[in-house]
Amino acid sequence: MSTWISIAGYQLTNRLGFVILPWAILALDFVINLVIFTDSPAAGHGQPRYAGALASIYVILIITGAVSISVPLPFALALGVSRRSFYAGTALLALAVAAVYGLALTVLQLIERGTGGWGLNLHFFRVPYLLSGPWYLSWLTSFVGLALMLAWGMWFGIVYRRWNLAGLLTFIAIQVLALTAVLLIIGGAHDWHGVAHFFTTLTVGGLTGLLAALTVALLAGAYTTVRRLTV
Amino acid sequence: MTPVISVAGLTRRYRGQVALDHVTLDIEPGSITGLLGRNGAGKTTFLRILAGHEFASAGTVTVLGACPVENGKVLRQVVFVREDQSYPDLRVRRAVQTASWFYPNWSHELAGALLEEFDLPLDRKVRKLSRGMRSALGIVIGLAARAEVTLFDEPYAGLDPVARQLFYDRLLADYAEHPRTVLLSTHLIDEAAGLLEKVVVIDRGRIVLNTDADDLRGAATSVSGPAIAVAEFTAGRSVWDRRRIASQESAVVAGALDETDRARAAALHLHLEPLTLQQLVVRAAGGPAAGPAEKMSAERTSA
Repeated sequence: MSTWISIAGYQLTNRLGFVILPWAILALDFVINLVIFTDSPAAGHGQPRYAGALASIYVILIITGAVSISVPLPFALALGVSRRSFYAGTALLALAVAAVYGLALTVLQLIERGTGGWGLNLHFFRVPYLLSGPWYLSWLTSFVGLALMLAWGMWFGIVYRRWNLAGLLTFIAIQVLALTAVLLIIGGAHDWHGVAHFFTTLTVGGLTGLLAALTVALLAGAYTTVRRLTV
Repeated sequence: MTPVISVAGLTRRYRGQVALDHVTLDIEPGSITGLLGRNGAGKTTFLRILAGHEFASAGTVTVLGACPVENGKVLRQVVFVREDQSYPDLRVRRAVQTASWFYPNWSHELAGALLEEFDLPLDRKVRKLSRGMRSALGIVIGLAARAEVTLFDEPYAGLDPVARQLFYDRLLADYAEHPRTVLLSTHLIDEAAGLLEKVVVIDRGRIVLNTDADDLRGAATSVSGPAIAVAEFTAGRSVWDRRRIASQESAVVAGALDETDRARAAALHLHLEPLTLQQLVVRAAGGPAAGPAEKMSAERTSA
């Protein structure tokens, strides 16, 4: 356990990937949105303005997840840390980061609500359906979403470390094929109706549960590939 | 004494290539062992397997009583300093601090003293360090960790002679106070010779020599002088190598020489010079005279 915490501390040396980039890019997006919407009354009053730039923090955390494995691993192994401990410490940090950042996004969402969308009716931290419920649900959904991105990125990082570029491309191809297979199976069963029904009736809580299951699957999958990694 | 490192039948195969071929070796606790051999002989692979970075294709590896692979309890007592260590984007200070978190016996005093002696800039990014400075950083970490099993793989690439001497001195001084098991792979054999208690020579994945360094000193002697005198002196002895230039000859005689031999050599006006560790290793590691080397290792094992 103490090794895990040490690893988390070591990982935080990468402040750029874990702290600065996600929030700097989000802040930049936010400012750009404020400027745009302040200067464009064209959208009309009372009309909600959707930004969608919140996605940037998710995208950056995929990259952070990947880098958090591929770059710091060799030095950690030299210091007598097992791959398992390194992975566990990194995953622990990923979950903590997702929880804290999810909470921060939730607080910003509450402020956005309280200020009438920053006085501009801007929907930056509020996303229809996904992040529009009670604060605790928004927190949970954000937490799961951010953790999913980090876990996914970590697995990319492991695959890259272990099998290099060819492995990475194969890994991406496998994911695309799996997705295609799912679509084909649904198409073959002529059950688009059922799928549509499933998604239209799925609550945010249900979706969050699905994403959480996916996150756990990604973490478990990454764990199976980290154990025989060599540097 | 239970060996700290015990390896039996260790084989490591890569695609179409055997890096280690049935290596069997025990290393006693509290010793400094020189791991010598040519490039690509398998030294790095061997150390990587001991550190649990690489996996054996066959055979058993025991470090501190257990298999090191993914064994946190064992690995906590192992430090591995390698020539081409890659570091993340961090400063020297942070790299040393990070290392201190993982070693129960870490010495902050020693780390601080070494950083100063090697003149390492604490606030510089490790990636911006010169090759020699990066090597020095590895040495600081390797020594200050005071790990039970300390593995140095060519730790001084790009390091100047003064800094190398500093490494030898500090290693010996700290080793005397805090005995541990040190494996040092190196090409600078004569330079490190004074440090080594054991010598293991690997050639093409196999151990060709494994002996006490003391046994090697004087294990062979170069005899030179007038050809007739050399011939007389070497008659009936095991000779590895003969070189003749005009009437002068030089021959390498195996086995220790006693006082009588020396007196006789002096009477014949022959010049005697013991082979250095490096010269012996060159022979053992498939140098110009591989035949006698095999004979030498055979003699050692039978002795």
